[in-house]
Amino acid sequence: MTEETPNEPFDEAEYRRRQRSRANMMAWMLGGLAILFFFITIAKMQIFS
Amino acid sequence: MAQSLTHGETALPADWRDLFALTKPRVMSLVVFTALCGLLAAPGSVPPVLAFSSILAIALGAGASGALNQWYEAGLDAKMKRTAGRPLPAGRLDPQTALQFGVGLAAFSLFLMLFASNWQATLLLAVSILFYVLVYTMWLKPRTPQNIVIGGAAGAFPPLIGWVAATGSIAPLPVMLFLLIFLWTPPHFWALALFMRSDYAAAGIPMMPVVAGEKSTRRQILFYAVIMAVGAIAPWPLGYTGALYGWTAVVLSAVFVALSVQVGTRTTGEGDMMRPEKRLFAYSIAYLFILFGAVVADHWWPL
Repeated sequence: MTEETPNEPFDEAEYRRRQRSRANMMAWMLGGLAILFFFITIAKMQIFS
Repeated sequence: MAQSLTHGETALPADWRDLFALTKPRVMSLVVFTALCGLLAAPGSVPPVLAFSSILAIALGAGASGALNQWYEAGLDAKMKRTAGRPLPAGRLDPQTALQFGVGLAAFSLFLMLFASNWQATLLLAVSILFYVLVYTMWLKPRTPQNIVIGGAAGAFPPLIGWVAATGSIAPLPVMLFLLIFLWTPPHFWALALFMRSDYAAAGIPMMPVVAGEKSTRRQILFYAVIMAVGAIAPWPLGYTGALYGWTAVVLSAVFVALSVQVGTRTTGEGDMMRPEKRLFAYSIAYLFILFGAVVADHWWPL
């Protein structure tokens, strides 16, 4: 690996790529959790009813 | 040299793969499996979605522990060949992000466990995370060669948490499974430490082979292997498991002890390939997987 110096040009494309991949990952995870929490609630309601 | 995290004044966002690596996925697989076995071996039935959520919470808690461990040990990891490529020592992730990720994941895992299961399992999960991070990583590991012995308790919690998540209470069998992992940890890690001795010495971690020497470590591997074998077989004569588990434990533990005798009674010279130690290390992983699988099989299909 190479050490980058402060003078090296800012890699805009890499910045955007990482931002996008993290945003996508977050969106999928939040969506998954919303579904999971919905089904947990349903299962708990069935247990307590 | 480590790769710089910044381009001038602008920090690059962490790559999700590095965050994932921070959770020690391979360790997590064993945690998930033993927790699942604890849950499946418990009496009664749990709705699948609650079982899945409880196991997910345990996995996230283990991931949080791994992340906080790597955050705290970044300096030590940089000195060891085995760990120098991890995201923090390699400079691909900044410590602040790792700390926030670890704490956030720990908090979320506890919330999920409380929501999906019960407060008893949540409390055990919190204790296991705190024990691993505060007692093992920060206190014991840099101070004493017994770090693995006491710290092994942290890795022994998952089957207990799985069982408590399913039942809301503790019973003798999950306590015995806890003891089994607790006693399995020293021979497993000391076998690794024997063939990674120079790495641990370079990092200044007082692992048993570094502090007490090879001969003493080998004796203790054998000692713990014998106690572990007794602990592994014990649930059968005590009536907590059936013959399927019992015979599996007898056969697998006999092989474990035989491999430990090989390791415990040999002396090594310069340039030794450490094959028996590597074999014991690899076998110990398979041993735990198969034995825990047998606990579940015995519960569902008793002989």
